Amino acid sequence: MDNIKLQLKQQIIEQLNLESVSVSDIADDMPLFGEGLGLDSIDALELIVLMEGNYNIKLLNPEEGKSVFQSINTMADYIAKHKK
Amino acid sequence: MTNYITSYCHILSDECWVNGKKIALQDSDDDITKQLYNYLEMDYPKFFKMDRLSKTAFLGAELIKNNNLALLNYKDDEVGLLFSNPISSAETDLNFLKSYQNGGMPSPALFVYTLPNILLGEIAIRNKWYGESVFTVSENFDAAYFLSYCNMLLNKCQEAVLCGWIKNNETFLFLVEKEDVNQLNLQLSLEQLNKIYLKKIK
Repeated sequence: MDNIKLQLKQQIIEQLNLESVSVSDIADDMPLFGEGLGLDSIDALELIVLMEGNYNIKLLNPEEGKSVFQSINTMADYIAKHKK
Repeated sequence: MTNYITSYCHILSDECWVNGKKIALQDSDDDITKQLYNYLEMDYPKFFKMDRLSKTAFLGAELIKNNNLALLNYKDDEVGLLFSNPISSAETDLNFLKSYQNGGMPSPALFVYTLPNILLGEIAIRNKWYGESVFTVSENFDAAYFLSYCNMLLNKCQEAVLCGWIKNNETFLFLVEKEDVNQLNLQLSLEQLNKIYLKKIK
């Protein structure tokens, strides 16, 4: 699980061009949106692309995305359960 | 009515000039946009998500603003934006195309920048400049167009107009106001505009 979390942080930084952010800046339970990492709605779409491209997981329900993308912890949990 | 160019800047591939003076950048292999971001000591994470077109326009606006702090005194709708370039957003359009060719996923972050006028939005959001905004596509820098449109905006509804010719490795921005606030003594005219544009563009 720790490997997935580390990998996710690296992928998020790369895919979202978070040049001023390093892996160590992203705590596992830090909110990804709002006052946490400060991602926006376009970033949410990029996270959907990231999930599909890297883990073959399709998120079709927007409501589901809200809970999945809360933090690295919630993303890693979802990937562990749904990775094909 | 006489209007004045109160600041101008050139951003080239590896150097930058403001009001004819070269900016002293640190030696670095970084792209000029990253070097200028560091030079300006900015903390604006969204910058890194922009395409190159938006980055250069955004940085030009920051450099000019730093030389014209009085700009901050205008009301939100008193500063207009008048920009132009020769290839619209073609570079980002192609990058977006590449993102989904060969079975890839279309990138939403790239798609956002597949219109050139997005750069106007980036500048407007950053500075809360909500006056008139125009982006046109023109084969070459057209001083006559900038002159007539700028004068029209200043005569009708704007106190200042930030103008920009945004081209990779050849970006030129200039600010026009009703008073010669920086005392550069650059009256807005066809001759003057072509002269300062060509000053650094080979």
